[in-house]
Amino acid sequence: MTKSSWKSKLTSSLFVIPYLLLFIVFLLIPIGYGAWMSLHNWDLLNPVHEFVGLKNYQKIFDPNSYLNDLFFEGLKNTAQFVVYSVPVLVAVGLGLALLVNTLPGKIRGIFRTVYFIPYAVSVSVVAIIWLWLLDTNSGLINQYLQKLNVPIIPWLTDLPWAWISLVKATLWWTIGFNMVIFINALNDVSEELYEAGSLDGASRWQRFIHITLPSIKPTMLFVVITSTIASFNIYGQPYLMTRGGPGTETKVLLMNIVDEAFKQRQLGNAAAMSLLMALIMITISIVQFRISNRKE
Amino acid sequence: MQSRSFKISISIVAVIIGLLFIVPILWMLATSFKTDQEAFTAGIKWIPEVFTLENYQYTLVGNSDTPVMKWMANSLFVGITGTLIVLIVDTLAAYGLARLDVPFKKLLISIFIGSLMIPWVITFLPLYMEFNVLGLLDTYAVLILPYSANAFGVFLLYQYFRGFPKELEEAAFLDGANKWQVFVRVVLPSARPVIWTLAIFTFMGIYNDFLWPLVTTNSPEMRTITTGIAIMQQGSFVSSPGRLMALTSIATIPAVLLFIIGQRSFIKGVNQTGIK
Repeated sequence: MTKSSWKSKLTSSLFVIPYLLLFIVFLLIPIGYGAWMSLHNWDLLNPVHEFVGLKNYQKIFDPNSYLNDLFFEGLKNTAQFVVYSVPVLVAVGLGLALLVNTLPGKIRGIFRTVYFIPYAVSVSVVAIIWLWLLDTNSGLINQYLQKLNVPIIPWLTDLPWAWISLVKATLWWTIGFNMVIFINALNDVSEELYEAGSLDGASRWQRFIHITLPSIKPTMLFVVITSTIASFNIYGQPYLMTRGGPGTETKVLLMNIVDEAFKQRQLGNAAAMSLLMALIMITISIVQFRISNRKE
Repeated sequence: MQSRSFKISISIVAVIIGLLFIVPILWMLATSFKTDQEAFTAGIKWIPEVFTLENYQYTLVGNSDTPVMKWMANSLFVGITGTLIVLIVDTLAAYGLARLDVPFKKLLISIFIGSLMIPWVITFLPLYMEFNVLGLLDTYAVLILPYSANAFGVFLLYQYFRGFPKELEEAAFLDGANKWQVFVRVVLPSARPVIWTLAIFTFMGIYNDFLWPLVTTNSPEMRTITTGIAIMQQGSFVSSPGRLMALTSIATIPAVLLFIIGQRSFIKGVNQTGIK
């Protein structure tokens, strides 16, 4: 229909140009600008930025530099959160999806909504609600534990409790999303497979292992990768709930990057740390993708 | 297939788990009606002994530190404007790439899709500096514009438009309509469900974002509800659970009600995006 003349090409381009401009200004330029910043001694308040080459990166890998601690301690803490939270986020998400799908049709929608409700709440509200629930003396959870004669637990001020609390709050907040995605995938598994399985005398568990799991594998990969990325980006929960404590045990990488950028005002160092963090995240996503595809 | 006792026991499990999801919100509401003295007293009281509205009164009108209504208005304004920009530029770009003779089409598509791999943290500080240079920190622009570069919507709509039957458009072209008319009259109405899905995802993302609005705003009247609450929690409300819980209740109840109404479309949307 459309003539491929230059006039037609021009009017067609008009459709793409608005987005392309935003993409260039708010994504492409920042990527280049960030790399540029990371090569400079870039003080937020000093208008002169001295070019230092790869020195900021060298400092990150130099064990005698405070940047080394800042980056690798932060990375270690972030990695801990990823390792503790992702399996739970995936397993509980799938568990809730299976539970909701087993419920009688009439009440299914109600429970799906109830489990999904916390997703509507913002991170600061999540933090405030859970701080109050987990308060060592007045918190609801410790008060119920006392009733059961369990000694009170320092939920936010001691390890491993601080991690458990962060995972718990995150789980409560975001699990509904993973559940909805799993419900969606479970509904697409063909009924015939299950019927064939039942005829062969497969138990509920065997059907789950041999029919359900293989059928939802792509969804599983999607949930694992998105949960890993989300957990890697954790900031609000430790910033508001533990403030990085006890000590700096739950001070995650993003908190260190923000401090280096806005408290120390060393944007060059912080930009180098951001770039390395991004590279690590991309690598992990690729590895997860590869591993999952190899198993086939 | 399923026995009656199985159905009952599975329903009981579902109720118990449901309570775990609801209890934090109920406890928030219960505390918001208590005096601080009672909130700190040991003992689990779901119904306040002394029922007080003082916390709400103080939070809403009693002090100038917490312009809660302004924060809510900011969050809504930023969320809605940001979403509208995303919807307009994304639908246009996706349709152009899917159907029109845009030069360098293949290159653009692969760049946009490739950008989905790039973690957000990489643009965080340079974007901050960019807005700093432009003198736009602490304005609505910095709270709205950065979200518009995300390629997720373009990718989503591109896939949808590619699968859309060509016949309808061709008929309209034969009737003498131009590209713009075809886009507005034929293509957009057909894509309404996908657009609605993108709108919900985008709005939730902007509305709930925390770190970006936290570092790019500093005057109290430019805060979004999420960052405003966080600052009160670390500031003057820190030792008043009653006021904090009133503040979070005010911020939460409308969002939860909207969510309960909107979640059906949200779930339907998850189906349509083909996230699987």
